[in-house]
Amino acid sequence: MNILVSIKQVPDTTNIRINPETGTLVREGVPSIVNPYDVHALALASLLKRLYGAHITVITMGPPQAEEALKEAVEFGADRVILLSDRKFAGADTLATSYTLAEAIKYLAQEAPFDLFLFGKQAIDGDTAQVGPGVARRLGVPLITYAVKLEIIDQEKKEVIVHRKTASGVEVLKVTLPVLITCDKEIADPPFSPLPELIKAAQTKPEIFNAQRPIPYKREKLGLKGSPTRVHRVYTPQLKSAGDILFVSEIGVSEAVEKIIAVLKDRGIL
Amino acid sequence: MVRLNYDVIVVGGGPAGMAAAITCARAGLDTILLERGRFAGAKNLFGGVVYTASVLSLVPDLFSASRLPFERPVTEEGWWILSQDGVVKITHTNATLRESPPRAFTAFRAKFDAWLAKQAQKAGVLVVPKVRVIDLLIKDNFVCGVQTDRTASWDDHRPAQVKAPVVILAEGVNRILSIKAGLVPRDFSPKEVALSVKEVLQLPKGELESRFGLQKDTGLAVELLGEASLGLPGTGFLYTNTSCLSLGVGLFLIDYATHNIKPYALLEHLKRHPVLAPLLAEAETLEYGAHLIPEWGFFGLAKLCGNGVLAVGDAVGLVNPLFREGTNLAIYSGILAGKAAIYAHKKGNFGYHTLRLYEEALKDSYIYQDLRYFRKLKTFLQQNKSFFQTYPYLLNEVLHLYLTAQGRAKQEVFKEICQLIRKQRGVTGLLGDFVRAMKFLKGW
Repeated sequence: MNILVSIKQVPDTTNIRINPETGTLVREGVPSIVNPYDVHALALASLLKRLYGAHITVITMGPPQAEEALKEAVEFGADRVILLSDRKFAGADTLATSYTLAEAIKYLAQEAPFDLFLFGKQAIDGDTAQVGPGVARRLGVPLITYAVKLEIIDQEKKEVIVHRKTASGVEVLKVTLPVLITCDKEIADPPFSPLPELIKAAQTKPEIFNAQRPIPYKREKLGLKGSPTRVHRVYTPQLKSAGDILFVSEIGVSEAVEKIIAVLKDRGIL
Repeated sequence: MVRLNYDVIVVGGGPAGMAAAITCARAGLDTILLERGRFAGAKNLFGGVVYTASVLSLVPDLFSASRLPFERPVTEEGWWILSQDGVVKITHTNATLRESPPRAFTAFRAKFDAWLAKQAQKAGVLVVPKVRVIDLLIKDNFVCGVQTDRTASWDDHRPAQVKAPVVILAEGVNRILSIKAGLVPRDFSPKEVALSVKEVLQLPKGELESRFGLQKDTGLAVELLGEASLGLPGTGFLYTNTSCLSLGVGLFLIDYATHNIKPYALLEHLKRHPVLAPLLAEAETLEYGAHLIPEWGFFGLAKLCGNGVLAVGDAVGLVNPLFREGTNLAIYSGILAGKAAIYAHKKGNFGYHTLRLYEEALKDSYIYQDLRYFRKLKTFLQQNKSFFQTYPYLLNEVLHLYLTAQGRAKQEVFKEICQLIRKQRGVTGLLGDFVRAMKFLKGW
């Protein structure tokens, strides 16, 4: 099986703060991690490789230090890792990102077509959940989002069953590969990698793709230029304080009504 | 296939381990460094001052880098001697301290150690994080490798082993492997280690400079005495970083237990001190950390090496709390151990008698002289409690009386001061302390 996993390096949001003056994220000194959902996508790829044998290609787009994320992918058993890195890619929204990734994937697929495309369900810094679907559309492969389980039922016929979490329950879908799946955390647990994989990871130098080589990207579709989305403002929502709880049974209906009216008037609503 | 045989294995990615690994790799030895943290520096903590000379001894082209792995230069240093509600400040700065390059910097280990790891990689060291070494491989009385917490492969669940004729232990204060290697006879006792707690505090923009009178290229590093350690043997510290400050305090581990002090409560007490509180107003805590400091000193000094094994840095207790030395000693010891490993490879002999080159070099250095000179420091501090318990407070009171003497007969004031000293410590006590301090300083 030929698997492609797309990952993103994100700031560890448990540490993130917003600069109150500029309204932008303070990234200085905030450690970077592999997007947690992507870790589970990698874990699934790793598991499939161990169970059925697979070749795993991992791509990421980001600044040079995103190399660290790819090293982590090698710990999971990735065979080939590619970093899409160029100043021209910077400032990309989900549209430009999915274009950039999809072109890279098409290029890589020329060597050997992929059977499975794995993405995290969303990135914890932007939370859009759009890049996976955007890439699926561009590649023309079926898309299954929010996957929580994958079973291979027939390796020969390349049939798999995917369980997908929805608001109302779990959908169980049968699909023939290739398919693009965006993974939730339940899909697989990250393995405790053996030492040789860690050593391999430490020795890894990812292949670098830039805006010209090996793929001549269309400049106007990249980065900030190719992104119709503009961030207007970033701010921390005000914490809502817990309301007062009054029991009508204790204070009586009329007093309750009086209190509500008083509060509404106080806030200028009435 | 991944190789699991190297010329040198270094256990621990702090300054000592990095210095040893860099030294070995530069001499062409195939060097692997195993670090248990997510990255080098992830699990490390110190108060925050690095001495430039030690870094230069390892990375001579330090200042050619565009971004230094430091925060601020230290241009003013000294002590703030705290009473319950007051302070006597003794700090020093002069033109030499403000010269470039600065002789010391404040720093964060997460950045500094990660930077050292980059230098190590450049030198050719294979730095492998997320691996914990759980045991040593010993054959015919020679250490010949390590056993890790990771498995040998996806299918082979036995612990993976890495082999090398020389293993350098830079494991830090928790010297589990050094004990296994027979370099240290036992674990440390609560009297032999200090526990320091530290917070990194972010002040509103521009406040750090205005509150501490700093410019862009100046910085303050002060030790806090007296009330900072509740009058117990120990010190606090306050170091200014680029846009935040590091505030911490440490006591001997035994004193936390004996006096039932919670480390966080000790730090909170310091933060609420009437002198410090306004300096910390509106500060946001960015980080909270704690670390053990090995203060067993000369008498607890480990054997520095054995057959196929060397120990460096905190693992052998190379710190001088009085002069805030630790990171620099770690680096120096790492370099010396690295040189011994190189020598052993040249000779093709990895026994104690070859590796002893390290022990001898260290004994010739000021590190060992200092260890010897200050060998009674711990006992001195623990036995002469008045230096922490009485004098800081007394000094504050005396200065207060002196400085508020206006409108009174001065003779009366001096009399009051003398009475105060007599009451608090007594003439014999004072003289005794003086003699003991002099004796200590003369190294008797």
